Amino acid sequence: MNDLLVMARIADRRCAFRADHVQSVIELGSITPIPCAPDFVAGITALRSQALTVIDCRQAIGVDRVELKSDHRAVVVSVEGYSYALVVDAIEDVTTGLEQTDDVAGGYGEMWARIASGMVETPTGPALLIDLSALIAGPDEFGIAV
Amino acid sequence: MDELLAEFVAETREMLEAIEGEIIAWEADPSDRARLDAIFRFVHTVKGNCGFFDFPQLASLSHAAEDALADCRAGRRAPDSAFVNAVLAILDRISQMVDAIEKEEDLPGGDDEKLVAALSPGGGNDDASAIGDGNTAEGDDSPEEFDESDAGMPGPNQPASVPSVQRTIRLPVELLDRVMSGVSDMVLARNDLAHRLRKAGNQPTIDSPFERLTSILSDVRDAITRMRMQRIETLYNALPRLVRDLSAELDKQVDIVMEGGDVELDREMIEMIRDPVTHIIRNAIGHGIEPVADRIARGKREAGLVTIAARQSGNTISIVVGDDGHGLDEERIAQKAVASGLISASRRAAMDREAIFQLIFQPGFSTAEEVSNVSGRGVGLDVVRDNLERIGGGIKVSSTVGVGTLFTLQIPLTLSIIPGLTLGIGSQRFAIPQSYIEEIIHASSRSLDFTHVGESAFVTFRGNRVPCLMLDEVLGLDEAGTSWSERTLVMLRLASGDLFALGVDHIHSHGDVVVKPLAPLVARSGLYAGTTLLDDGQPVLLLDVTNIAARHRLVSPAGTRNLAAAEETVDSAVSDAPRAMLFTDHDGRRCAIRLELVTRIERAEANVIDLSGESPHAVIDGEILPVIGLPDGPLPSEKLRFLRLFDGACELLFAVREIDNAVQLFETLHPEPGDPTIEALTLVEGRTVALLDGYALFARHGHPPEAGNKAWCRLPETDWAQSFLAPLVQSAGYRVVNGTDYREAVAIRFDSDADTDWAEPGETPPVIVLRERPDAPEGSQTIYRYDREGLLRALDQASKARIDAGGQS
Repeated sequence: MNDLLVMARIADRRCAFRADHVQSVIELGSITPIPCAPDFVAGITALRSQALTVIDCRQAIGVDRVELKSDHRAVVVSVEGYSYALVVDAIEDVTTGLEQTDDVAGGYGEMWARIASGMVETPTGPALLIDLSALIAGPDEFGIAV
Repeated sequence: MDELLAEFVAETREMLEAIEGEIIAWEADPSDRARLDAIFRFVHTVKGNCGFFDFPQLASLSHAAEDALADCRAGRRAPDSAFVNAVLAILDRISQMVDAIEKEEDLPGGDDEKLVAALSPGGGNDDASAIGDGNTAEGDDSPEEFDESDAGMPGPNQPASVPSVQRTIRLPVELLDRVMSGVSDMVLARNDLAHRLRKAGNQPTIDSPFERLTSILSDVRDAITRMRMQRIETLYNALPRLVRDLSAELDKQVDIVMEGGDVELDREMIEMIRDPVTHIIRNAIGHGIEPVADRIARGKREAGLVTIAARQSGNTISIVVGDDGHGLDEERIAQKAVASGLISASRRAAMDREAIFQLIFQPGFSTAEEVSNVSGRGVGLDVVRDNLERIGGGIKVSSTVGVGTLFTLQIPLTLSIIPGLTLGIGSQRFAIPQSYIEEIIHASSRSLDFTHVGESAFVTFRGNRVPCLMLDEVLGLDEAGTSWSERTLVMLRLASGDLFALGVDHIHSHGDVVVKPLAPLVARSGLYAGTTLLDDGQPVLLLDVTNIAARHRLVSPAGTRNLAAAEETVDSAVSDAPRAMLFTDHDGRRCAIRLELVTRIERAEANVIDLSGESPHAVIDGEILPVIGLPDGPLPSEKLRFLRLFDGACELLFAVREIDNAVQLFETLHPEPGDPTIEALTLVEGRTVALLDGYALFARHGHPPEAGNKAWCRLPETDWAQSFLAPLVQSAGYRVVNGTDYREAVAIRFDSDADTDWAEPGETPPVIVLRERPDAPEGSQTIYRYDREGLLRALDQASKARIDAGGQS
């Protein structure tokens, strides 16, 4: 496991996205809200001529609604042909993953386990590797209350 | 096969497709000269061409048809249904032969004599069998035909050694998609640039190259779109024939009404839905529409009606096929399903109406009591549904006993550019596909009456009670404070024909929008059909009008629209207050003009206006129209709006600054003798409005159409006459007409034309006879065809004679 990883903080936890899943990191402009969409969908925003669905990762994971700051940057990923902008607390760095463990003793906790595809060691410490499709599916489908 | 021959095949086929609809229309109205001419021209061309290629069989067939049709044109015989059948049979045979020519097979031999014999009066005894043969052959051949002509690949029956003759290349679909999405990105980038340029103000050095870029881009976009798209008309073209043949076979009377032929679909999609649509129409005629006697007994119109309408909505096309037959019989479907073991009796008891209707899509289901060769072909609706689901679409059915059945086919469209309207509610904007929009009205308008019945809201619009939704309520937005009377109502017409009103706060703009698909988790809400980016780069959501209406149960179960449409016309006649279009002219006056005069609202660039003549003109859709109401001084740089006025004979464009609304004038009209252009002053919503005098407008500015005061001149139907003679004759002040027309003042013919319906020289109408050779035979009154002076002299004499005759009478 020597993949490049994009490191971010979500709900004050260190998380990692595989760099080859990440199209770019953007500065979020104005977001058009979508009435009647799930809560964790913040809206849509434009990236060049693309329309991105903006997902608030904190709410998508199901973290309690505490006021969490964001540095107004988002990770752009593509899942099954659709592009999403993921809002995180902060984007930290791009680094090399050293070693991936699929399971850790004691697990990550119910909320995190749903969106985790494992734990990854990096030069700056361990991080949770995010399973994108699970993240984007949102908490509702798994019956976890937001 | 050489190229010339390939051209012949392609041309013949194209013409065949084009006249398919004509021939049915001609049968419905045999006096329709234009249709007869079109069919005649076709056989005539085929005859001419195959003489060139040496296809004696084809030549003799087309010759026979030409003779018979010529008789018909000359009025020597009336086109009865046997005659139409015989002509159709010949057209079918020609089509088969063309297929065979393309495959370089021997021409299908056989009973050509029989076909020809059927043409002669009283010879139509065995026409039914001839027609039958023709149909099956056509049905079997059509898929291959597509392979060869559109894909340029050898069909399965073609010997592999034959090189493909179509000058086409095959491209991977992904490449096309990439190019298409690249172009739509370019459109958006252009829109963004346009927005920035507008903000920066006028910059002549940038504006003109930008205009150029815009026009190039729109050309490229059209071309790219066409690469994959085809109008659904190509599917429609074959339907009148299908309906005609089937209804004749089943001894029913069926009319077909087709709408939305200009909706464009991916080529492949059209081929995919060809069979399902045909199948549903077959079913509608075979099972749905009752025999004439039953229909009369039920008080229905004698002829059944099959409707097909296509609409585009975001990334889907919906095609609605309806009939006004006896509808689906819930009980019979259920019994049949139980009997054939599809469901158990206990399960049936638990099923509701909708669920039972869904059973017709189950494999192995058919309600026809007896298997006919029309619908009981063993291909069921299950196959239709499977085919549609395979391409990511779907099919729904709704039905009312005794009223009719409605099938809705949903077909996906991966990427598209559609005209759309942007509207606002609160601070948010949304887009709606233009195709749904019937009309936009301010809720404050007096012609509307708003009521609540229980929880539902209704407006009375043109005498009809129309359900009304408020967009903020639909979307669950909390936009308190706007009363309905401040709203703007967008009247939306669904593909099923149902009308409803959607209340919004503002209308922003309209223009082409590039529809992008929505992420599934947003699409799941069912309210949106896609997203699009506005000029300023802000994304907006495209509302899924059909689904919103369905959720609020505004879609009528089935074919009630025809009834509703009839009522509409009756009701609108009841209110007698004059209706007028309200607008602000370029002098800032609030004006109105009677609505009957307004045919359309045109928007055009300022450069369509030509100020060079005595009075300004504009070119709209290839027509030169006089323009009035332009401001003094320079024209405004942005798009101009016009009301297109029509008095029954001539048209005028009235330039206006702003178009307000269509209103009814309830207040007294005060005549205004001081100003001849104003009919009266009146009050609309408390403000004075000048009602323009349409009579004075047209008297002063209207040019009667050119044809009105010109004499007609009949020309021979040869290429030479059309391209050389016609301009000369027109410049001499005549209007050219082909074929017999009793208004004709002069006829020109060749001495070689021995047709009897041409008058002789010296008779009325005057006839000018041309000869091919420069040297005239002894005592001939003919004129050499390139003798310009002689011809003009003869025309001059003829027109003097006409004026004299006019003076005497």
